[in-house]
Amino acid sequence: MSRDDKFARIAALRPARGKPEPASRISDTGDGGDRLATLLGAQINRNHYGEHLSLRQWYATPEICLPDPRSLALLLPQSPDAADSVKAAIDPEQWLFLDTETTGLAGGTGTYAFLVGIAWWDAGGLQVEQFFLRDLDEEHSLLLELSERMEKRPVLVTFNGKSFDWPLLDTRYRMTRSVPAFAPKVHLDFLHPARQLWRLRLGSVRLKDLERHVLAGDGRSLDWSRQDDIDSSLIPQMYFNYLRGGPAEPLVGIFRHNQMDLRGLAALAGKILSLLDSGNGIANAASAETHDPIEVLGLSRIMHKRGHSTRARELYETALHFGLPRHVERLAQRELAQLAKRELDYTRAISLWDALRETPIPSKHDKAPPLAEDAQRALESAIEAAEQLAIYYEHRAKQPKRALDLMRVAIAELQNARHAAQFASERGRKIEARLIRRLMRLERRCAGAPLFGRTRSRNRSVGTTA
Amino acid sequence: MIEENGAPSGEKFFVFYNPPVVNRFLGIRRGYINESSRVAQEFLKRNLQTIVFANSRLHTEVLLTYLQQANPAPPGQPPAIRGYRGGYLPGERREIEHGLREGRIRGVVSTNALELGIDVGSLDATIMAGYAGTIASTWQRAGRAGRRSGSSCAVLVASSAPLDQYIVQHPDYFFGRSPEHAFVQPDNLEILVNHLKCAAFELPIATGETFGSVDVPDLCERLTEAGFLHRTGGHWHWTQEAYPADTVSLRSVTSDNFVIVNITEAAEVIGEVDFSSALTTVHPKAIYLHQGQQFHVEALNFEERKAYVKRVDVDYYTDAIRYTQVRVLECAASDRIEASGADAHASRSLGDVLVRSQVIGFKKIKFFTNENVGNGKLELPENEMHTTAFWLTLERPLVESLPFSVSDRQGGMFGLLHALESIATLLLMCDARDLGTAIGERPPSPGLEIEWEETPSPEAIAALAEKEFFEPNLYLYDAYPGGIGFSEPLYRTHNILLAKTRELIAACPCENGCPSCVGPVGERSERAKEAALAILSRLGA
Repeated sequence: MSRDDKFARIAALRPARGKPEPASRISDTGDGGDRLATLLGAQINRNHYGEHLSLRQWYATPEICLPDPRSLALLLPQSPDAADSVKAAIDPEQWLFLDTETTGLAGGTGTYAFLVGIAWWDAGGLQVEQFFLRDLDEEHSLLLELSERMEKRPVLVTFNGKSFDWPLLDTRYRMTRSVPAFAPKVHLDFLHPARQLWRLRLGSVRLKDLERHVLAGDGRSLDWSRQDDIDSSLIPQMYFNYLRGGPAEPLVGIFRHNQMDLRGLAALAGKILSLLDSGNGIANAASAETHDPIEVLGLSRIMHKRGHSTRARELYETALHFGLPRHVERLAQRELAQLAKRELDYTRAISLWDALRETPIPSKHDKAPPLAEDAQRALESAIEAAEQLAIYYEHRAKQPKRALDLMRVAIAELQNARHAAQFASERGRKIEARLIRRLMRLERRCAGAPLFGRTRSRNRSVGTTA
Repeated sequence: MIEENGAPSGEKFFVFYNPPVVNRFLGIRRGYINESSRVAQEFLKRNLQTIVFANSRLHTEVLLTYLQQANPAPPGQPPAIRGYRGGYLPGERREIEHGLREGRIRGVVSTNALELGIDVGSLDATIMAGYAGTIASTWQRAGRAGRRSGSSCAVLVASSAPLDQYIVQHPDYFFGRSPEHAFVQPDNLEILVNHLKCAAFELPIATGETFGSVDVPDLCERLTEAGFLHRTGGHWHWTQEAYPADTVSLRSVTSDNFVIVNITEAAEVIGEVDFSSALTTVHPKAIYLHQGQQFHVEALNFEERKAYVKRVDVDYYTDAIRYTQVRVLECAASDRIEASGADAHASRSLGDVLVRSQVIGFKKIKFFTNENVGNGKLELPENEMHTTAFWLTLERPLVESLPFSVSDRQGGMFGLLHALESIATLLLMCDARDLGTAIGERPPSPGLEIEWEETPSPEAIAALAEKEFFEPNLYLYDAYPGGIGFSEPLYRTHNILLAKTRELIAACPCENGCPSCVGPVGERSERAKEAALAILSRLGA
């Protein structure tokens, strides 16, 4: 049998996902690129490495925002030279927004950024510029152009660029072995603050969802619409089809998608910075009313993480005061209790743990995984609260009997839930083992047995041998 | 080159244990799984930390069941004997490794998953339930016991398999022989194509680049047509979203797997099995064993690659019945076989084959007694594999010259193939699972026009041995897609293969055949051993 047959068999075993469209153009002449240039009104950028397509567009919105240094500091990693970074990033004229469209999400050396969009504040609005590879061998010239733009505006602003776009581009520069990358002075990535602020409310924090639920809220609407936006998961395949000679038209949608991502990013940057500004002075009830309580909780978590505990406690209290959905409320109570305990404010901590104990656990819902999971989470925080209270009664209040009772109740609760199959068994086993250890220790203590029996006897035996 | 082992080591005993013959007429020895369990128990009783190696996942779980029953954990405590194999989730595996290092776990039953690469500290004893298949693996397994000081022990409990019997009866072969050479077939198209894909992902392949004697441009062009690569500016670039190395497994040919979902309580993933084992281990109604706990497979969702299981407590396990057919696609080399200067009416060949196998049913086997307590029928998808094979063709004059009844002749052919396989694994120094066997009528001519026989029912399988072959092909094929290069050496050394096979059968002390030579009597006709020897003498061996 010839190699053809063999190959066909093996290829058949593992077909390429999404077969390429039949080629209507099989050549490297780039006439598809010319067609695209005409469709978009794009130009050809030339430098000594070659050429690529380039498209410039100016938008009146969003408008420039002026960051407060304290809010900016919350976006940057805590480090000794944080002050320098804040100084470098304080001038928004130095910012360069960046978003790439790639041939896959796998990362690594075989993934290309075939469309690189950048944007900067200009003439009261946003100037967007996009570079595009008509074929993969145009990469050198594109990368050179990009590093020149980055040198002019050394503050990189992205959405998930720290773990995706920039490492990918950095690899692309390295692979050329000739074009030097211009490393940004400061990199502001708005994905992480966005997660902290909105994940609890929205579940996911894709830019598209943030535009709809956060940026377009408060009666405002955006100047662009995602209505006919393309499905971003199709982007790599659309580009591969084009590379193999497919039509240029579908790519117009990718350019548009990238433009909207850049404008969305610029708007999001403003929104997050103004929220952080107000986070620095939101403690009074009046201003908090204008915010979503879950957003306030998000702010308090940012402050908590950054060690601004006083501010964080105020914000947690505000969020709780304005009312949170039950599953989020439990989270806020747990974290605030932690904070209060650390500051030795046991009165507040106990009231929160008691509140967590009193919460009715959602009843068992047959075959409803999301609710069942919620029940498990609720029970876990109730049990954790019992443990915290037991620690307090045993060690602080010196009421081991009370701690013992709490443990007994908690174990019964857990066993009931496990019996009703409301608990993932592996995790349930672990928690139960932990509770039982504490219970047994407390029982020994209440029975008057030496508490640290093991440790003491070891010490004694050391003493006798010596 | 590393020639000496400089690792510190204490006194070590290496014991070869051949379970006693309990029925000389049938050539049956005491079951090696039960015997391994008994031996392991002797060590565990004396509180020696023990590792037991089994050669399959099923046997791992069966042994674990026996040992856990003999060493029940105190209530509320985790069991002191654990199982370990591929298919357990990483977290569980790490916990077991940790427990072994700390000495908390006193015994572990494992597949070759613990053979190398994982630090579990040094144990006191290794029990091997069955020969590992290669000298190198056996030394690795034995090395799990006693690394630095103090005495340790390794026990090899031989099964009735011919290879095991050969090893325990010829210890010099084992101790005198250097560990085997690895067989690699770099031109295996399956492996080659995956190499190229991964290479192109890492760095575009230049048009002038070479890779051994392989026609790189041709393969790259084919990959381009299939949509994996794109050629521009003198380079082939990777143009797929996926990361190609993700679909390449170091251990098996496909990376596809099934997850096992325990639905006894809240749904929970407890393990995984690779695609090829899924059909034999988690088919509907199978008893899936995990950490000695039995689970009944409620449903197998093929599309979603999920098996749903429920905890049960029954006294049997299941063993899948597989039916295999082979078709010749292309004959690469062929030669007549001569016996004392005359044509033997037989030939040997080498070439590409298509192997189709299907799990058609299962047996229920009772724990401890190994009685067959029932059969079940299954309708599962067929699996096709393109590989290479070595085969012997017995032509009509040879077959007709055998002075036996039809069923004895067929028994002789199956028996001969059984013995050939054992000797082939010995000569190739490969694992028994690396080779597959099948018998089929010689096709009129090789080619892609393949007519498969209809798959028989499990009941009909027994009757299949009665089916008359007029010009049978006896196949020994590589059990890996694309082949891994076993066929060529078998073709080249067929004289040794036949001579050693004859030696094995003739020297076997059983009367009418046994698991150690032509296979158990129950599965063969009475004169199978005689018939196999007659065929061999006609082949000049």
